[in-house]
Amino acid sequence: MSPQLSVVVAAVGLPFLAAGATPLAARRLGDDTGYAGAAVALTCFALVATQLGRAGTASAAWIPSLDAAVRVTVDGWSLLFALLASGVGVVVFAYSARYMHGEDGLARYYGTLLAFMGSILGVAFAADLVLLFVFWELTSVCSFVLIGHETEDAAAGYSARMAMLVTVGGGLALLVGVLLLSTASRGAFGTATFDLAAMLADGGAMRAALRESGLFVPALALFAVAAGAKSAQVPLHFWLPNAMVAPTPVSAFLHSATMVKVGVYFVGRIRPLFLSPEWTLLFVTVGLATMTVGAVLAVASTDIKQLLAYSTASHLGLMVAGFGFGSALGAEAGVFHLLNHALFKAALFLVAGVVAHQAGTRYIHDLGGLWRGMPFTAGIAAVTGLSMAGVPPFNGFYSKEFLFEAAYGAAAAGGGLAWLLPATAVLASVFTVLYSLRFLSVFFGGRPADLGRIERPHVTLVVFPGVLAVLAGVIGIAPGLAVEAIVGRAVDATVLAPVEVHAGLPDHVTPPVVMSAVAILAGVGAYPFVGRIEDAVETATRTATPVRPNWWYDRLLDGTEATGERLGPVVHNGLLRTYATWVVAVAAGFALLGYLATGAVPLPGTGAGPWVAVDWPGVPPAMALVLAVAAAAGVAVTAASSHVAGVLTLSILGFMIAIFYILASAPDLALTQLLVETLVLLVFLLVLEELPEFYADLEVGRTVRDAALSVAVGGVAFLTVLLAAPQPAAEQTRIARYYVEQAVPAAGGTNVVNVILVDFRGFDTLGELLAVSVAAISVLVLITMRNRGETG
Amino acid sequence: MPAVSIVLAGVVGGLFALGTFLVLRRDLVRVVWGVAVLTQAANVYLISMGGVREGTHDLVPVLAAHGGAVPRTADPLVQALVLTAIVIGFGTTALALVLTYRAYEENDTMNVQEWQ
Repeated sequence: MSPQLSVVVAAVGLPFLAAGATPLAARRLGDDTGYAGAAVALTCFALVATQLGRAGTASAAWIPSLDAAVRVTVDGWSLLFALLASGVGVVVFAYSARYMHGEDGLARYYGTLLAFMGSILGVAFAADLVLLFVFWELTSVCSFVLIGHETEDAAAGYSARMAMLVTVGGGLALLVGVLLLSTASRGAFGTATFDLAAMLADGGAMRAALRESGLFVPALALFAVAAGAKSAQVPLHFWLPNAMVAPTPVSAFLHSATMVKVGVYFVGRIRPLFLSPEWTLLFVTVGLATMTVGAVLAVASTDIKQLLAYSTASHLGLMVAGFGFGSALGAEAGVFHLLNHALFKAALFLVAGVVAHQAGTRYIHDLGGLWRGMPFTAGIAAVTGLSMAGVPPFNGFYSKEFLFEAAYGAAAAGGGLAWLLPATAVLASVFTVLYSLRFLSVFFGGRPADLGRIERPHVTLVVFPGVLAVLAGVIGIAPGLAVEAIVGRAVDATVLAPVEVHAGLPDHVTPPVVMSAVAILAGVGAYPFVGRIEDAVETATRTATPVRPNWWYDRLLDGTEATGERLGPVVHNGLLRTYATWVVAVAAGFALLGYLATGAVPLPGTGAGPWVAVDWPGVPPAMALVLAVAAAAGVAVTAASSHVAGVLTLSILGFMIAIFYILASAPDLALTQLLVETLVLLVFLLVLEELPEFYADLEVGRTVRDAALSVAVGGVAFLTVLLAAPQPAAEQTRIARYYVEQAVPAAGGTNVVNVILVDFRGFDTLGELLAVSVAAISVLVLITMRNRGETG
Repeated sequence: MPAVSIVLAGVVGGLFALGTFLVLRRDLVRVVWGVAVLTQAANVYLISMGGVREGTHDLVPVLAAHGGAVPRTADPLVQALVLTAIVIGFGTTALALVLTYRAYEENDTMNVQEWQ
């Protein structure tokens, strides 16, 4: 069954509409806006769910000339991501109602959160690269606003800007990549298109076109940068831990469950198109590196939210690495883990929020034994924390097992250095187990003496993460249900040929099972030494400053700011003559360069023949005389000793030009010019009365310099007329002929110039009138409002 | 041999040079003159792009009557452009002059080099 465009557009558009209505709703509902948002998310979830079982593409025209359209694709992969986003959205909105109780800026918070959800749904369904790019960047913008929720907090501002620069910078890489794909599509389909669905459907032709044009690797690299920036892959992972200054529901929603998965989602989406040895090399390396680095840094974290942030980066690395492997098992790991991670990590973040809310601290060393005060929360943490560690029979185990199988398979096939892949995966998993236990110690470890009495959390703070934990638990007990419901079909969209997905507890010992066992046992075995490991990692990161991307980011930003501060005053020195000099010199210089480069004006000394025929005088004698007087008047203006003399000679120049218009068969221009010159003369004389005469000594050096520049500019203008003016015998241009011939039949007027102005180009004239009106209003304001609205 | 008029080219070039020189002066009023001179030069340049020839009755782009064959006229398009330019130029000059007046009031000097 093909998808219903109207339903998908409604699901994507509804959150945006709701975001527009949020300011009003927030004023009326207050804290309950969260529940209204949850209702919107639930509606979206229901709308998306109606499309379950459908597959295909639907579109409506948008920019036909570029073949960009409102195209949506519905398949298992997009439905999984959309259901996840709207489903976690329900939980996060409902949780926020209590969590954000009494906070400022609720309208902005909920409005942005809604717009974000709409953008994510847009990314999930977009089958058009332009549409995808727009929604992709919208998610970055929403994330910027939400990270900077505490507008007064400097750390929030710093982190928000960092997230913005990294993710939007990655978005620019996406844009270039999209343009490369569109260029290559011309080779595959004959016409350039932005239709991603068509590209994926005819992957063979696209791959051939990309290879042929040499754009395969550049496009792949650009998409990797875009996805890496969005999904916090090494070395662009550093923004994610900083983004934790956002309110905890935002961290749960954007920075664990959805936005950071946009990169992973896109990698899965284009996987069938780009799957190749280069693809595997790139994404497996980046993914495993991120998995390891994230896990190691998570162990060294002292703040529970920071721990979860590094852990998120690590798990995103797992998904990226999974998609990197060429086997279908890799795609199964990526898809299934996207679902599992969203469930357990969103719940863990919300749990972290509860802990911070009740205990007033997120510092691991100050927390412990919380299970007595909050048993339900501790239960949620246990289920989801063990799932994060990849312990059977919790849901995280199955997807991690897929990755182990894919890594082992790749190593067995590749041999040699390829054995590093499963080894790295196991090493990262050891650290994963370690930091998961670390997190659980907050609930089940020894209770620090100075920890005060912990109040039992409000039921609405516990019930929503509880829902997620129950879902995670159900998938853990019966993974076949999830596979049956959606994961199987989602995997099909990311592989070349449909596969049968089997997830379940192992019934016999295989190498991947051994890998899991080693990871868990080693992690548990190393737990007693976690303090020493933490110190070692901490020392290593402190001493090895130059390998920290954050350090580079700060240097780059500081350097840019310092350069800007130095460059600004040089370029913008407040002197009119500097600006005028640069503008006219550059314009004249480039024009001259153009003439020389195209050979319109041969370089002197090359012995070229006469390159332009000139005629003396070439105009009727009367016109030559008028022009000569005009030029003389121009000289007189320049040499005028007083303002009055200058204004009068300027008028002579203007009136001479009016006579020139008469002689050049342009009576309308002459009339206008005469009127305008008269007015200008009057305005000048009126203003001059208020201004003092200006006397200044002529500085010889400066005058000579200005004169040289002026002569150069005049020379270029002279050349331009010689080169560009038509020969007298030349035919009337086609457009001029058109206007003359159509003046009477099309516009019913005999004065062609008038007809052009008021009829053919009527809107241009309207714009001109607007410009003159604005000038008139400005004049009025400048004269009458001197002492209003400003001091001094 | 039909050719381009050197007088026209010379006048356009000369007016551009004079206008540029005026724009670089320190006296703000002279800067405004410079802008006005550059405007005139640009207008003459545009007219020259349409071709300038000995004036005749047919050359004026006002048709004699409704219907019938139309003669070869001077280029009406550049004339329409220049007409717009003249009016806009008026607006620009008037605004620049009032700005000059206001700038003098605020800064007590006409010397653009001394502004803060």
